[in-house]
Amino acid sequence: MANEVVDPGRRRFLTATTAVVGGVGVVAAVVPFIKSWEPSARAKAAGAPVTQSLKKIEPGQQLIVAWRSLPVFIVNRSPSQLAALPKQDPRLVDPGSNGTSSDQQPKYAQNATRSIKPEWLVMVGICTHLGCVPDYVGEMKAEPFDPNWQGGYYCPCHHSRYDMAGRVYQGVPAPKNMVIPPYHFIDDTTVQIGVDPQGAA
Amino acid sequence: MANVFSSIGEWVSDRAPNLAPTYRKHMTEYYAPKNFNLWYYFGSLALLVLVNQIVTGIFLTMNYDPSAAGAFDSVQYIMRDVEWGWLIRYMHTTGASLFFVVIYLHMFRGIMYGSYKKPRELVWLLGMLIFLVLMAEAFMGYVLPWGNMSFWGAKVIVSLFGTIPVIGGTLVEWIMGDFLPADATLNRFFALHVIALPLVLLLLVVLHLAALHEVGSNNPDGVEIKKGPKGNRWDALKPADGIPFHPYYTVKDLVGVGLFLAIAAFIIFFQPTLGGWFLEHDNSIAANNLVTPTQIKPVWYFTAFYAIVRMIPSALGTAVWGVLGMFGSIALLFLLPWIDAGKVKSVRYRGTGYKVALTMFVLAFLGLVMIGTDYTDVLFPKLFGSDIDITAWDNAFGRVMTLIYFGFFVFLWLYTHLGWEKTKPVPERVTTHD
Amino acid sequence: MIKRYISTIALALGLLLGTTAVMADEGPELPSAGTNLRDQASLQRGAHLFFNYCVGCHSLKYVRYERIADDLGLSEQDVMQNLNFTDAKFGDTVISHMPPDDAQKFFGKAPPDLSLEVSAKGPDWVFAYLNGFYLDPKSPIGWNNTILPNAAMPFPLWELQGQQIAVMKPAKSGEDPQIDKLTLLHPGRLTPEQYQQATRDLTNFLEYVSEPAALQRRHYGIWVVLFLLAFTFLAYLLKKEYWKDVH
Repeated sequence: MANEVVDPGRRRFLTATTAVVGGVGVVAAVVPFIKSWEPSARAKAAGAPVTQSLKKIEPGQQLIVAWRSLPVFIVNRSPSQLAALPKQDPRLVDPGSNGTSSDQQPKYAQNATRSIKPEWLVMVGICTHLGCVPDYVGEMKAEPFDPNWQGGYYCPCHHSRYDMAGRVYQGVPAPKNMVIPPYHFIDDTTVQIGVDPQGAA
Repeated sequence: MANVFSSIGEWVSDRAPNLAPTYRKHMTEYYAPKNFNLWYYFGSLALLVLVNQIVTGIFLTMNYDPSAAGAFDSVQYIMRDVEWGWLIRYMHTTGASLFFVVIYLHMFRGIMYGSYKKPRELVWLLGMLIFLVLMAEAFMGYVLPWGNMSFWGAKVIVSLFGTIPVIGGTLVEWIMGDFLPADATLNRFFALHVIALPLVLLLLVVLHLAALHEVGSNNPDGVEIKKGPKGNRWDALKPADGIPFHPYYTVKDLVGVGLFLAIAAFIIFFQPTLGGWFLEHDNSIAANNLVTPTQIKPVWYFTAFYAIVRMIPSALGTAVWGVLGMFGSIALLFLLPWIDAGKVKSVRYRGTGYKVALTMFVLAFLGLVMIGTDYTDVLFPKLFGSDIDITAWDNAFGRVMTLIYFGFFVFLWLYTHLGWEKTKPVPERVTTHD
Repeated sequence: MIKRYISTIALALGLLLGTTAVMADEGPELPSAGTNLRDQASLQRGAHLFFNYCVGCHSLKYVRYERIADDLGLSEQDVMQNLNFTDAKFGDTVISHMPPDDAQKFFGKAPPDLSLEVSAKGPDWVFAYLNGFYLDPKSPIGWNNTILPNAAMPFPLWELQGQQIAVMKPAKSGEDPQIDKLTLLHPGRLTPEQYQQATRDLTNFLEYVSEPAALQRRHYGIWVVLFLLAFTFLAYLLKKEYWKDVH
């Protein structure tokens, strides 16, 4: 051992190689720990599609169901609420949901009512500002926050306002319309949240 | 790029001028004897396992539920539903057993080469404290999965304290916070296992290393390199037989780390229960306070000490003697620097009596492990026929092993204090055996 | 030096295999179940047996239908139509059809969950148990078992295996009679060889169920170990290079 010649090039090469291989090993070892934070099989099972009967929801009424732990609003919009929708367009940020809010709904709900069937609104009830759950204020009457209120959602956290299609009004903190989840109708009175209509994926 | 690094370096050293010298003191200018052999890998490996236990432990707490109702289910949740949870748990369980493998070998190295002797008594005492805390840590961790072995292991080990006269019964209830191991017990063991004891452990490890670096490392020859000639190729004033810890021992330890990890990975991926040694079959049954497992025994790393409890019979109406024996067997290890007054450190130059005694001591320890794991119940019938009285054989064998264990310390005291030991001449400088 | 490393590895691995072999020896000698987790067809057959004969009483409360489909190479449709006869969802765990209170009433003891049965007892035990049922007029349920005497379980697989009876050893005076072997009184739908294979499949499935991760860990393990050995070799070269400085 005593008479071996030191080769600085070999030493540098071996140091670099060992460091790189060791680094690869460390990165590979970190991956399982990072992946362990992903939703577990239990969370995914709990996030499975939710089926809800619509039979008992009267016009103008809202029902909240949990899907992936998120509040999903299901509203049977009355004819007067539907009629008020087009009139809100000038006051909205993105009335056609094709500007800043173009990713906030599936293609099949990118329309004037943001829904598959005009009367049925199915929407994730999370304010796009900081994630509070907005209050449903369905009646068309003067409210402290808007003397000309035409029904919609009012977020108690930072006073963001949305219309009866979850479209955000101008001049409030929230930037986008609320999210429409994937959903489809199994039959006329049953909706399933979490699954696209056939052929619409 | 290099400029950025050096200016950050300057910025830091302006504000913390002692940082770089501290690093040098413990790494590039810590001169370790150049003749370390295989036995000297286990210190750095122990540190590696400690880091593994802390990291995997933190990730296990993220999904573990420390309640009697939920603990067992949450372990299965980790094993099945959490992405890669099985790997993280097996790394933790395998790490626990390998921790003791490494620590026992590390301790044996210390005994064999006299590393506990002057001037390293403090290093040894701190190391023994680490061992003690580690045992408490391992015991409480073993209870957390709340399998039937966890439950009954907790009950039996806590009951050891019940043998203490007068206060025993009250003490046991106080430790458990109930009349049986229950929610309260699991909650407090969890708190101690995941935060209190690890903090103590980390502090002790830092002190252990700091104390070591004050006096310098021992070596297989037991020669003090600081007392030898001065001057090596890195520093004219440092010991001639010393080499900088970094890079020489860091790259050497890297080889040990690689090999150790390969062995650990083999266990984790192919034999995670190691045939019931690392994870016991009966712990796959949820805790049940009405049904005792057919064989109650601690995990292998406690069995040597636990066997001593079994081998010492009760007397004068109390079972405290066995428990005293168990704690005594550990306490004697603390006192080793004062029991052994031998002039020579390394087994290489010690008297024949010492070599024989040390061999006997190791065999006695392994024998006690065999008794404690009930392995002798399988072995003895195979060796001596199936119609022997196993309990009688166990007791006879175990008591001989217990006597040898304690006899080692008695012998060592007499052998060195009465001057019976005939040592060989110790060389002036370290010898290399490569 | 390198010789020493090699001998250390050999010693360590030898100890590992040795202890494992020794531990497997413990307890009464049982014939090997001969299970093989890599045999996916066997796992599938075992799953079918479990869901046709066992799930009526025994749950697998930690196992999800979806996981079984993924690991056994079955489609969602296969599992939901051929294995799941309850209204459980694809992502749900396998719960038995029988409410535990009823089970307690019928058998005096709730049938245990089988998620971890093989982890607790070992595959050989389960295999022997499934092959150890015999007619016993003294038992309240009409059946007894050589591996678990006085088991509270009736024998649902009898239509496959047929009915066995115990042949006793010649009794020594003053001792309880001992069972010598079991013989088939009335054959079932399967031949003895087919029945052994069926119970082997069922045991294999229960072994898989007690640790689904076993499939993954063997898959990754070999690469991890090889990588670490390669790293060790590199580190060894590096060490040799640096230690040229040390005289």
